Amino acid sequence: MLTKLPPVKLKQPPSHFEKMWGFGFIIFATLLLSACDKQNAAPRIDYNRSYPSVDGGVMISAMTGEPSSLIYMVAGESASAAIASNIFNSLLRYDQNLDLTGELAESWQISDDQKSITFKLKPNLKWSDGKPLTSDDVLFTWQLVTDEKTHSPYASDYQLVKKAETPDSLTFKVTYDQAYAPALDSWSGLQILPKHLLAGQDVHTTNFARQPVGSNYYQLDSWTHGENIKLSRNPSSVLGPANIEQLVTRIIPDNSAQFLELMADNIDSMGLDPIKYSRIIPARPELLEKLNLYKELGNSYTYMGFNLKHKPFDDARVRKAINYAIDKQEIIDGVYLGLGINIASPYKPGTRWSNPDLQPYPYDPNKAKVLLKQAGFVCCNNHGILMRDGKPFAFEIVTNQNKEREKSAVLIQRRLKEIGIDVKIRAVEWASFISRFIKTGDFDVVVLGWGLGLDPDQYNIWHSSQQAPGQFNFIGYNNPTVDKLLEQGRTELNPDKRQKIYHEFAKVLLEDSPIVYLSAGYGLTAMHKRIQGIVDPIPPAGVGYDSQKWYIPQPLRRNEISAN
Amino acid sequence: MNNTLFKKALSNPLAKAGFIIILIVFLLAMLAPLIAPYDPDEINVKAILLEPSMQHWMGTDGLGRDVLSRMLYGGQISLLVGLVAVGISTAIGIVLGALSGYYRGWVDTFIMRLVDVMLSIPSFFLILAVIAFLEPSIINIMIVIGLTSWMGVTRLVRAEFLSLSEREFVQASRTLGAKDARLIFTHLLPNSLTPIIVSSVLGVASAVLMESGLSFLGLGVQAPQASWGNILTDGKEYIQFAWWLSLYPGMAILITVLGYNLLGEGLRDALDPRSGSSK
Amino acid sequence: MLIGISLISFFIMHLAPGDITNNEAAFNPKASEESRQKLRELYHLDKPVIVQYGLWLKRMVQLDFGNSFKPHQKPVFWQTTDKDGNVTKGMIQEALPITLMINILGLIITLSLAIPLGILAARKYQGWQDRSITLFNFIGFSIPGFWLSLLLMYWLGVVNNWLPISGLHSLNYENLSTWGKFTDSLSHLIMPVLIPSVTGLAGITLFVKNGMLDVLNQDYITTARAKGLNEHKVIYTHALRNALLPLITIIGLSIPGLIGGSVIAETIFAIDGMGKLFFDSVTSRDFPVIMGILTIGSALTLVGNLVADIAYAWADPRVRRGVMRG
Repeated sequence: MLTKLPPVKLKQPPSHFEKMWGFGFIIFATLLLSACDKQNAAPRIDYNRSYPSVDGGVMISAMTGEPSSLIYMVAGESASAAIASNIFNSLLRYDQNLDLTGELAESWQISDDQKSITFKLKPNLKWSDGKPLTSDDVLFTWQLVTDEKTHSPYASDYQLVKKAETPDSLTFKVTYDQAYAPALDSWSGLQILPKHLLAGQDVHTTNFARQPVGSNYYQLDSWTHGENIKLSRNPSSVLGPANIEQLVTRIIPDNSAQFLELMADNIDSMGLDPIKYSRIIPARPELLEKLNLYKELGNSYTYMGFNLKHKPFDDARVRKAINYAIDKQEIIDGVYLGLGINIASPYKPGTRWSNPDLQPYPYDPNKAKVLLKQAGFVCCNNHGILMRDGKPFAFEIVTNQNKEREKSAVLIQRRLKEIGIDVKIRAVEWASFISRFIKTGDFDVVVLGWGLGLDPDQYNIWHSSQQAPGQFNFIGYNNPTVDKLLEQGRTELNPDKRQKIYHEFAKVLLEDSPIVYLSAGYGLTAMHKRIQGIVDPIPPAGVGYDSQKWYIPQPLRRNEISAN
Repeated sequence: MNNTLFKKALSNPLAKAGFIIILIVFLLAMLAPLIAPYDPDEINVKAILLEPSMQHWMGTDGLGRDVLSRMLYGGQISLLVGLVAVGISTAIGIVLGALSGYYRGWVDTFIMRLVDVMLSIPSFFLILAVIAFLEPSIINIMIVIGLTSWMGVTRLVRAEFLSLSEREFVQASRTLGAKDARLIFTHLLPNSLTPIIVSSVLGVASAVLMESGLSFLGLGVQAPQASWGNILTDGKEYIQFAWWLSLYPGMAILITVLGYNLLGEGLRDALDPRSGSSK
Repeated sequence: MLIGISLISFFIMHLAPGDITNNEAAFNPKASEESRQKLRELYHLDKPVIVQYGLWLKRMVQLDFGNSFKPHQKPVFWQTTDKDGNVTKGMIQEALPITLMINILGLIITLSLAIPLGILAARKYQGWQDRSITLFNFIGFSIPGFWLSLLLMYWLGVVNNWLPISGLHSLNYENLSTWGKFTDSLSHLIMPVLIPSVTGLAGITLFVKNGMLDVLNQDYITTARAKGLNEHKVIYTHALRNALLPLITIIGLSIPGLIGGSVIAETIFAIDGMGKLFFDSVTSRDFPVIMGILTIGSALTLVGNLVADIAYAWADPRVRRGVMRG
C-alpha cells in the first residue's frame, strides 16, 4: 500500500466547527425555502374562453439583446426598433393590407412633376409631455437624420431630399432632384423626434436616448439596465389609447433560457424555430393549453449566393447546374419542417411584386450533369469529383452561425457531392463573417438571408454600382439589363408600371441564377392565450398588426405582477 | 524505471479508475470507424429527432443523423482538442520553465514577469476574444487554449529545476563539466517529470470542458464537424423534449473529464509524496 | 506588469480583422458605405498603430478607456457628467459590482462548504465520507456548467416552479417589502451563485484536505498531542490555521478564473455583469470595452493578490515577525 494513512484516527462528537457549519446550513436552507415559497397551486384557468375587450394588464415579452439607444436612426438595431416603434410615430404607416396610410400625416400629395411630396399633419398632435407636435419636429428629424454628425445608417434615403420646408405648422414639403419611388416608404420608416427636447443635444450621448418622449401608444416607464424595459400607456397618444396597460420586455440573452421562461409562464410571447413550433410545443399538451401558435410568411428569404468574380461561378451554366442539383423541397422539409416556401423571385410570395409566372428550378441532377459537361467539366478523379483543366471542382460554403443556414448547407453539400462537386462548410461568427469574407469578397459561395423592406426597390443589392467593400452587392452581380430595370423602378411612381418592371427584373434574375433561392421562411411566434384580440386570420401586415387593440381579460392576468 | 512508475501510479485506486475510464473512452473514439453504426454525416430528413431505439441507440438529431455515430466521431475531436492543447501548453511550459530555472538571472526575471502578466489576465476572456477575432476552427481552438494555459507548467518546472540543481548529483555533474543541454535533458528534466505529468493530465480535463464552454458561446468546434461540445450545444435548445441530444454528450464530457481528473489526482497522490499543492 | 498587460490587450485588439462597423446595421440593405466610412473616422481607426498604442498606454494609466463604440457611446469605465449635469454611468461601473457580488457570495459559499468538507475528508481519510466527498467533488468539477445550469433551470424553474429561471429581480421588485426584496434577490441568486461554486468546491476541498493531512503529520502537532492537548484544540487551533494559510494565496490567484468563468453563467442566467458585457463587446467588436475589461480584470487580480499577501502576512505569525518563508 502506497496510499498514506492519517497519523491518528479521531473519534469525537461533532466538533464546534462542524456544529457551526450545520447551523449555517439550516439558516441557508430556511432562506432557500422561504424564497421558494410562492403560491404554487394557482386555480386552473380556462385559457380557451374568449372575453370581451378590457383595459389594463401587463404583457411580457423577451429579447436577446439590449437596445443601445431608443433613437432608432442612431441605434439601427432590431432591439431598438422593437421598443422605439411603440413610443414614436412616423408620418406614414402600412395598413393591414400593406397599403400606405397616414399616421402623423392626415394626407399627402405628390406634385405633378413627381419630384415633391407635401404632407399635411393631423391637427392637435401632442408629445406625451404635452407639448404640441408640429411640422417643425418633422423638419428637425429630417435635419437630424441627414446630419453628418448623426452617422445614421439610414441617412442615404433622406439625403436624396434636396429641399425640405415647412410652409406652416401642419405642412411639411420635401423636394427631390428626380422622382424617387421608394420615397413614401422611406417616410414610413422615419420616427419623428421632438425638437424641443433634442435640439442642441448630441444625438449619441443625449439622455433622451434612455428617457425618450414620444407620441405613440406607449411611453417609457422604466429601464432597468440589463434586466427589463417597461412601457406604460401614453394617455395623450396621438392615435388613441391602447388596451394593455404595460408592456414589459425582458432581456434574456440565451434562447434556451427564454424558452424555459415561456414554459414557466413568465413571458407571454416568443419567436420560435421550426423544431419548437412543430415538434416540441405540439407534443406537450400543457403548453398547447396556454399558448397560441402563429405562423406568417416573412418578408425574407434564405439563399445560396455565388461569388461571380470567382471561377467557375462566372459561368451561368455552372450556376444553373448547381441550382438544378439542389433539392429545395428537401431543405424546406428537412430544415424548416415544411415551414417554408420554394420561391423564384426575391419578393414575398403572394405580393404584387412577386412574379407569379416564374417557376423555381426543379431538382434535376441529370440536367445539372449535362450543364456541367457543357461547361467543360469531365468525370471524374478517383474520389468521384468532376475535373476541369486538371483541377477538381471543389469549393467552400461560408455561412454565419445560424442553425437553419448551417443545416441547409449540410444538405446542399450532400446533393452536390452526388453530382461530383466537393463542398466544404465553414460557419463563422457574424462579425468575422462580414469583415473577413463579405467585405473582402474572399469567398466562393455563401448561404445567407435577405430581409427586405416593403418597397420593391433592390438597387442596393443588385445594381452593379453597389460592389464596393461593405456594400450589398458583394456577390459582384453585374448585368446591364438588371441595372437599367432597377434604375427605372426607382423613378417610376405608377404602381402598375413598377410591377411590370420588377416582374421583368425577377425573370432576368432567375434566368441568370446569380443566387439559388433556398426558401422563404415563415416567422413563427408563440403567444400566451391570455393575450386576446389578435387579428384572426393574420392579415398581410403580420401578427403584430393593431397590437394596441390586444387585451388581457381580468381572469387571465398574472396575479403576482400588478401594473400599479 | 518508467515501468515501475506506471505500476506505482496504478496502485492508486483513483488513478486506476481514471485510467480505465480514459482507456475505454479512447478506444471507443479510435474505433469509431469500425463500431459506429452509421456514417456520422449521413442525413435522413425523414428521421429527424427520433427517440433512442434499436435502430438508433442514442436517437437522431435535427437532420436525422445518428447521434451515437456522431458521438463516437465527435469524441475523436474532443479528445484531440484536449490533448493537443495540453501538448502545446506543456511544451511551452517546459521550455520556459527550464530556461527560467536553469539560467536564472534576467532570463528568470523576464519569464516570471511574463507568467505574472498572463496569470493576471482572465484567461477565458483572452481565449474568447482571440478565437472570436481569428475564427473558431479546431486548430485555432487548440492553439489558443494551449497558449493561454502554460503558466502553471512553467512555474512547476522552474521550481523543480531550482530545487534539483541544489542536489548533489546535479552539482557533481556540473563540477565534472557536463554541458548545459546534457544536464537539462539527462538529469533535470527526467526528475521533474512527475509534476509535469500530473498537471498535464489535469490540464486535458479543463481543456475538454473549455471546448464545451466555447461551443455554448458559439465559438467551439464548428458544425457540421461534430464535437461533444457542439452536439451538447445543439441539444440545449430542446433539453426538455429531445433529451437524448443533450444527455449523451453531457454524460460523455462528464465521464471523460472525470476520468482525467481522477487519473491526475490519483497520480499526484501516488507519485508525489509531498502532494498538498492544488491546481 | 502594466506594460505587459497593456501590450497584450493592445495586441488582442489588433488581431481583430473586423471594425466596429460590423454591427447589425451594417447589413441592413438601407445602410450605405458612406455612413460606414463616417463611423470609421469617428472612431479614429485610421491612425498608425504606434500612435494608437501610445494613446492607449497613456489612457490606460489614467484609467481612461474612452467611450463605447456602440451608438450610445457610454463611458467604458466610470461615469461622466455632461454640461447639463446629467450623469451617464460607466459600463464597467455598472457591470462590475454585479459580477463581484456573485463571485464573492459564491466564494463564501464555496469556502463554507469546502473547509468543513476538507476537514471531514482529512479526518475520515480513506473512510466512506472521504470517498463520497471526493467523488461528489470530482463529478461537480467535471460537469459542463451550462448543461447543469439548464437542467436545474428546467427542474427547479419549470417543472417545480421553485426558483426563478433567469434575471436578478422579479418584475414587481420595486413594489416588494424589504423582506420581500431580500427573498426575491436571494431566490434569483441561488442558481447563478451555487452552480459555478460547485466547480470551485472540488479544488478547494481537496486543497484543504491535503493541507490538513500534511499539517497533521507535522512534528508540532505530534508535540501538541504529546503535551496532552485535547484533539479538538489540536485540530482547530493548531492544525487548521496552518492548513488554511496557503488557501489565502489560492483565493487571490483564482480571481481571474472567477471573472473569466462568469461569461457562461451570466449569459445563461441573463445577468448583466462583466462576463456578459465582455462577450457582447467581443461579438460587436466594441474595442474600448474589450480593452477596458481586460485591463480592469487584470488590475483586480493584482489587487486581489496584494490583499492576499497582506492577509497572509497578517495571519502568519512568521511573516508577521519579519521572518521570510521559503
